[in-house]
Amino acid sequence: MSEKFKQLAAARKTAFENPSYFRQIVQGILPITPPSIPVELRRWAADFIAEALACPALRTADKESLTVMTIDAVRSLLEAPDQDPLILKGGIMAAASAYPVIVKWIISNSYHKPAWETMSAIKAKILSVWDGAPTPVKLCCIKFVQRVILAQTASNGSEPKHSGLDVNLNIIPPNHDLLDSRLLEAEAIGLLDRMLGGLQDHSSDPLIVDATLNTLAILVRSRPATSSRIINAITNFNPLKLANSPMTLKNKIIIKSMIKTALMLLGNLARRDPHGPLTPRITQAHERLTRARTELLEEASRKRALPVEAVTSPGDAKRQKTEAAAPQPPLKIQPLAPGPHTLAEVFSLTNNAGLQAFDVTNVPAPLTARIAVKTLGSIDQGQLDLAINGVRDRLAALYAAAPAVVPAPVPVSGTTTAQQAAVNPETAPLGVEEDDDAYEPDFYAAEDTEQILNKLDNAPPEVPPEQNAEPDSTLGLGPFRLPPPPVLNPESAARVSQVTAMRIFGPLSGLEDPLVKKQKTGLNRLAANSHDRDSWLTLITRLATRSTVGLNDGIKTEADATALGRPQMSLSNLIREMLFNYVLEDWRRRIDVAIAWCNEEWYNDKVAEREGLGAPRNYERCALRLMDGFLSYTTGQDKGITRFLSEVPQLSRELLSRVKTLCSDPATVHLAMTSLLYVVMFKPPAREMALDTVYEIWLEYEDARPLAEKYLHKWRPGFADAHASPDNGVGGNGSQAVTA
Amino acid sequence: MSTAIDTASGAASSSKPDQQNGQNGQNGGREDTGGFKLKFCTVCASNQNRSMEGHLRLSLANYPVISFGTGSLVRLPGPSITQPNVYKFNETSYDSIYKELEAKDPRLYKANGLLNMLGRNRQVKWGPERWQDWQIGMPRATGKHKDDKGADGMESGVADVVITCEERCWDAVVDDLLNRGSPLNRPVHVINIDIKDNHEEASVGGRAIVDLADSLNKIAAEEREKVGASAFDSGSVGARSGFDERVPDVLAEWQERWPNLPATWTLAWF
Repeated sequence: MSEKFKQLAAARKTAFENPSYFRQIVQGILPITPPSIPVELRRWAADFIAEALACPALRTADKESLTVMTIDAVRSLLEAPDQDPLILKGGIMAAASAYPVIVKWIISNSYHKPAWETMSAIKAKILSVWDGAPTPVKLCCIKFVQRVILAQTASNGSEPKHSGLDVNLNIIPPNHDLLDSRLLEAEAIGLLDRMLGGLQDHSSDPLIVDATLNTLAILVRSRPATSSRIINAITNFNPLKLANSPMTLKNKIIIKSMIKTALMLLGNLARRDPHGPLTPRITQAHERLTRARTELLEEASRKRALPVEAVTSPGDAKRQKTEAAAPQPPLKIQPLAPGPHTLAEVFSLTNNAGLQAFDVTNVPAPLTARIAVKTLGSIDQGQLDLAINGVRDRLAALYAAAPAVVPAPVPVSGTTTAQQAAVNPETAPLGVEEDDDAYEPDFYAAEDTEQILNKLDNAPPEVPPEQNAEPDSTLGLGPFRLPPPPVLNPESAARVSQVTAMRIFGPLSGLEDPLVKKQKTGLNRLAANSHDRDSWLTLITRLATRSTVGLNDGIKTEADATALGRPQMSLSNLIREMLFNYVLEDWRRRIDVAIAWCNEEWYNDKVAEREGLGAPRNYERCALRLMDGFLSYTTGQDKGITRFLSEVPQLSRELLSRVKTLCSDPATVHLAMTSLLYVVMFKPPAREMALDTVYEIWLEYEDARPLAEKYLHKWRPGFADAHASPDNGVGGNGSQAVTA
Repeated sequence: MSTAIDTASGAASSSKPDQQNGQNGQNGGREDTGGFKLKFCTVCASNQNRSMEGHLRLSLANYPVISFGTGSLVRLPGPSITQPNVYKFNETSYDSIYKELEAKDPRLYKANGLLNMLGRNRQVKWGPERWQDWQIGMPRATGKHKDDKGADGMESGVADVVITCEERCWDAVVDDLLNRGSPLNRPVHVINIDIKDNHEEASVGGRAIVDLADSLNKIAAEEREKVGASAFDSGSVGARSGFDERVPDVLAEWQERWPNLPATWTLAWF
């Protein structure tokens, strides 16, 4: 048998290597199709015939002759008495491929009645096994029926050609001997209804459903007579019947498969014909199924419902506990056995041997303190009272059991054992309830609360009272003193004061300009009447000018002398330095700060002079420094120089001579001359000084000479006479100097 | 057996996927015991990583197998995300892609595992094929794919089971089959297994695919064994359940073993 299969396999391979051999090989295997042949061979034959008839490599003519040649064998395979499912499958597949070929062949060869009769018999056979066949066979029946419907309904021509799918009612001539179009179409519609009925009847069999759905696409799009019925069937199709049964993994896969397959079919149809008359219904069905799927999947992914008893029972571990905790059993304190006891034993309330043996001194004291505080904070008052009373009873019992005579020198009231001597002599007896009337304290009565409080008040506060009695007093905390600060030397003091000064300027960047421009009050203004940039700057300038006047000037001179020429910065000078830097950072906008500062300096100098403090004069120095700072950044458009010159409280020759340097640059000549002219015009006390400067400019700078000459002509009456001709006097010297 | 291991270790260098192929060579490259074999087809986007891992492993397990990609072009990572290496399906061989990338930047393409993958692929088949261009049922006994691994048994150019590696590919396959109109009248189980597109997941997925193939082949073989005695005695065809009906059961059992690879299934037609 296996030898035979090897031969068959080799023959099959030959056919697929060269499809022209199909005819010969199929002819060769036809003898193994009758029912008398072993089932394995017939299966092979059925499979091979199905493969051959479906093979797209064969030309239409070859396929026709092959089909006509094999349909008898197919019929005999299908009608074999054993009804082997695999043979049926192969046979029905072959028949499905054969059907359109035979229809087409009969159309042009109507004389060949036996072929059509054979095909009709095959069809009848398949339709008869359809209902009772096992599912795999049923699937093939469905596919066969689809091919029959395709062949027996009218096409709209949208199917692929040359695949057998194009065989349809339209190519059957109206008066064909064997084929009656109307009968064929009626049969097709009947078969379609039967096929679609499967969607309802077997709606929980995924194989039938999927197999049916996957055959419908081409019917809907190329056989208009079927479209409406098919869409109806899909619309009524409910793949969720199974959803009511337990959701096993298999059921989930099955339901998912059916929904997904239906969605694929509907999506395909809607995509291929987006404007067709049925498309709205297709879209609607698609949406319905999508929704069903979402619900189903959501349900599956949802967590289990909470069991009813878990809802009703209050013992849910995750629920917040709102009821009071069950009361603890009252503490039971065992009375001590007779005999000597350690203090630890007296205070031990637990019966646990392990806990009793635990040496608490191993625990660091801070930790013990924290534990104690926490415990005391949360302990039940009743339990605490019980414990205290228990210990008190023990101690009382011990007292009671003690012999009446006690050693005299021990200042402990009524204790005989050495261990009990360790009890704090002042406090331990306090709690003792002397239920034994026979007992008399021998030396002094236990103090009452008042006395103890007095004592505590008198005790040094740093030392805890209980440690007072400790034999080792070195354990007590002494008074704590901070380590002395490092000695402040002048350098570090200077450094620190620099930082301090810097911090004064810190807020400037964050402060706002006053919203409303206030009237300038000059020296009369208050420094800190509002928290804006203006008032803060006033504060700074006054800090710089007034704060230490007359205080450290003496020291300063001394420091100057000792510091080998390195000037020691006083706080005022530090602030001046920073104020200077602040102004120069953006001098065009901060020129008013500079002017205000100069005013403050001048005022301070005057006050110091009047008081006779002998402090150094700062105004001239600051004004010159500011002027020098401005000049190095001045351009021809900077009116700030003019403003500065006109608004500072006092002008000097030296200050005005700085303006001269502007004339060395032709771009700033005009500015320099205008500034001086302004001084000449509006500051009569400084007029002569300014005119002298102009004169010097006239002498020294050739670029500025015409302008200077003009001003001098106007404001210095004597100038015109002295320099009427350019070749005499100073002018001649000047030009020589320039030309030299 | 020996060629299978040779191939796997021959493609293996230092990369993870190939090492795992080497392991596969030991447990997957098994003795061909003959008997009935289902024909498989693996599908992913570019017919490079996941489908080829499945192709190799199924062929090492002696199953007839072919593989395809459903993308419009073969896309492989390039030096950056915006510069992928793109090739045409059906016209470019794995070998030529391998050589091109090796010439471009051997260090990069070795480091990202592409050269190792292509090295494996060129030992498995000629070049990447596009599902939509596949002429189903066209004999494959001749042509450039006749020497592919797993070509033995695929002469007829059809498969019994198509395994896709991504939901998108499953959709593309099923949709394409609807478009084709099923001229061959041949049922085919289209099963999707969601496998992430990286070497590690592809390797895990490859094992899962072989596991599924074994389970399916077992029931298919059992269907065939039910000849003779029981078949004749029962006298009725309704008493037995065949391969197709048992696919959902097998899939459910498989899903229990591989809970992290969600599966979708349908019965479609070639």
